[in-house]
Amino acid sequence: MVRRLTLAFVVILLLVIGLLPVLSMFVKSVIADGRLSLAAYEGLLASVRQWTLMGHSMVLSSLVTALTVAVGVPLGILLGKTDLPWRRFFTLLFVVPLLIPPYIVAVSWFDLLGSEGLLAHVLGASATRTTARLLFGLPGCTAVLFSIFLPIPMMLTMIFLRTINPRLEEAGRLVAGWRGVMKEITIPLVLPGVLLSAMLVFLLSFGEFSVPNFLRYDVFPVESFTQFSAFYNFKAATAAAVPLAAVTLILLLAESAFLRERTYQLRPFPERERLPLIRLGTHRRWLFASAAIAGLVIVIVPLVVLVIQSAGIDAYAEALDRAGGSLLRSLAYAVAGATLLTFLGFFTGYLVQTKALRYWRSVDSLTIFLFALPSTVIGIGLISQWNTPWTNFIYGTPVIIILGYLAKYTALTSRISVTQLAQIPPSMEEAARVAGAGWFRRMAFIVAPLARRGLVAGWVVGYIFSLRDTGITMLVYPAGHETLPVRIFTLMANGSPQLIAALCMVMITATLLPAGIAWMVPAVLKRKVIG
Amino acid sequence: MIVTSLGYRYALVLTALLISAMTLVSCNGKSVSKTVTVYVSEDQVFSEPILQDFEKETGIKVNAVYDTEEANSTGTMNRLIAEKDNPQADVYWANEPIRAEVLKQKNVTASYVSPNAADIPPVFKDPDGYWTGFSARARVFIVHNSVKDKPRNVMAYADPRWKGKAVIANPLFGTTTVEIAALFTIWGDDKAKEFMAAMKRNEVAISTNNGESADFVAAGQYDFSLVDSDDAVNRMRQGKEVTMVYPDQEEDGIGCFIVPNAVMLIEGAPHPEAARELIDYLLSRKTERKLAFDDCAQIPLHPGVQTPPELKPIKDINVMRVSYTEVAGKLIEIQPVLKAWMEL
Repeated sequence: MVRRLTLAFVVILLLVIGLLPVLSMFVKSVIADGRLSLAAYEGLLASVRQWTLMGHSMVLSSLVTALTVAVGVPLGILLGKTDLPWRRFFTLLFVVPLLIPPYIVAVSWFDLLGSEGLLAHVLGASATRTTARLLFGLPGCTAVLFSIFLPIPMMLTMIFLRTINPRLEEAGRLVAGWRGVMKEITIPLVLPGVLLSAMLVFLLSFGEFSVPNFLRYDVFPVESFTQFSAFYNFKAATAAAVPLAAVTLILLLAESAFLRERTYQLRPFPERERLPLIRLGTHRRWLFASAAIAGLVIVIVPLVVLVIQSAGIDAYAEALDRAGGSLLRSLAYAVAGATLLTFLGFFTGYLVQTKALRYWRSVDSLTIFLFALPSTVIGIGLISQWNTPWTNFIYGTPVIIILGYLAKYTALTSRISVTQLAQIPPSMEEAARVAGAGWFRRMAFIVAPLARRGLVAGWVVGYIFSLRDTGITMLVYPAGHETLPVRIFTLMANGSPQLIAALCMVMITATLLPAGIAWMVPAVLKRKVIG
Repeated sequence: MIVTSLGYRYALVLTALLISAMTLVSCNGKSVSKTVTVYVSEDQVFSEPILQDFEKETGIKVNAVYDTEEANSTGTMNRLIAEKDNPQADVYWANEPIRAEVLKQKNVTASYVSPNAADIPPVFKDPDGYWTGFSARARVFIVHNSVKDKPRNVMAYADPRWKGKAVIANPLFGTTTVEIAALFTIWGDDKAKEFMAAMKRNEVAISTNNGESADFVAAGQYDFSLVDSDDAVNRMRQGKEVTMVYPDQEEDGIGCFIVPNAVMLIEGAPHPEAARELIDYLLSRKTERKLAFDDCAQIPLHPGVQTPPELKPIKDINVMRVSYTEVAGKLIEIQPVLKAWMEL
């Protein structure tokens, strides 16, 4: 009873925080003067421009998806299944772009390849005319989004590789070489992960606005934004967001039909279980060199560009002077957001994993739907729902920002919890129940401690995504509560490139620090225990 | 028993939530007796130092929401409209007066006639006090120095001599859309539409914003562009090969379009007294001088305030005589024309 009540409360919380704002926005878009009106939608459908933008979005998302999967899956296999040296370092290196706000990556490439970028200073402006032209448009957008989303298929491939029972591959190796085992056993077993990653990359590229806008490639989310920002037409803005929501829903339904059972059953084998590794032999060197070059171009070069651009104490002094308060606020909101996301994600994950309520599948779909929905839609929805005199304690305070984080990112902590909870034998909780422990006691003293790695991972992921959020925060932050990413955005208008680069570096450091600590502390503790 | 243990557990959860809430509040918790909330669409890099000076001089804490370039400086205005029934802001500092007119028409703003605005020319103020202009930009040509015979009026965009050699910022956004609307009010719809058609025939390139237009001209990719005076002054200060030309300065010319900043009081402002103090401060000569000599290089509207060397004082410019109220109305009216022109 307590379990059902608590989980029902979590579901209601999710509905109020996430679904209600989006629904209220939709309802307002179809009502004019108290009557049902589809005028906003008719205008949208009649415009040729919308179809062109939709085409652009489809092309961009498809290209990014195809490229990330084509490179990310082999990279995931290389890092997760072979004896390549420095595998752990490469894994962390390739994940870095996903952890920082996408527009920072775009800014960095602009600082390098733009008509007045670093390359232009070295080679002359005429030499960079072609690179600048390529950067601004479809090729540049594709390349930047590729570098940001590459870790998704890479990581999912690695995670799914860990779910394969080693005995299957060992049995296969008795009658075939690695090539045959990969083709007949390994690849088919990681295919759900590959498809899941393709769906996620497609949705995230489809809803991405900041990079295409910065690199001047018109995509569909621009239309919703333009209706909002140029014509002050909230109804048309909502109408323009509906196709985005529809594409998201269609892909989620497809995932639900073809993949869901596979991803729920995700149960990585414990680390102590030795996974069979492919010996690279003579290929080791050139594969190592290839991974190093890819890491250099995709991750290190953009970071080095920012470091060069921000060189000098003055830029950092100005950055901290102008944005010190924003940095502290960002950290505080990210900590609060991550903590609440961990709570909410844990209970949502528990609901999905144990199927404790009949509508567990809908709850899971809702969190993923909100994650994939463009931030503008959630942001406008939150304003529309909470901006009333009675709810000023939410709208006029940072609570509105935290609600935005919860609406958008619960899917991440929930999915992490599902994966972690799947590894806890149900018998543990069952035994405690038989011994008379109540549900909260079982949660607090059995399930949560056993799922602590997942909780820590969920907290770190929640922290990183809360910290890097711009889409929602930019729309809803109360006066005097701007966060660092928002500050970078607002200073980008006529702010000096050195200052912007320094702020970006501060942002990257603040983002990566807890991830680094979370990675290093267990390793150090382990070493001490062994020592 | 069950109730007690449940209460204990819920208390634990509530404590955790409370700690999170306190973290939030602690970031918010400076006890300041007087505060004012201002939404700003002038670039933060220029507006923030002014607001910080106001804080230092008056002791009034300023909470600001700034626009991003991504939002083409219209995000704050959207928030003001969305928050009309529950205003959060006290003051709006817009970087052009058309938004002020739109907000007036939507009953978002309130009347306030600042004593500091007495000698600002009436053309730059709302007669009913719903907004007051200060520190302006002029819409000027930025021309590459390699161009010998420089364009002198906006009709140059339609002159076949400049076919494929001119660029203009997206007319759906920013000061370009305002200037096009001003041309519609000065010339009438037919002439203005013919001008737009001629621009298209003349293969005028479209850039994303004025800054990009200025960069294109500075790089020699195009001969000229209509931009804001601060864009031109910045490129000149950076040593680029460009010159600034005030268009339509002939005696019978239509004049150069001036875009003042505009400040306004929000209807139902939570802190009206502090709001008036801030408005007075922004409309002071001191603020105009600061904005003139900052990188934004804005033209003071108070007579006698010093102007940086690259700019002409307002009295020496043949100013386009338009009513900003009419321009605001025209701007909304011509949106379909502009969308069609952009093939949206």
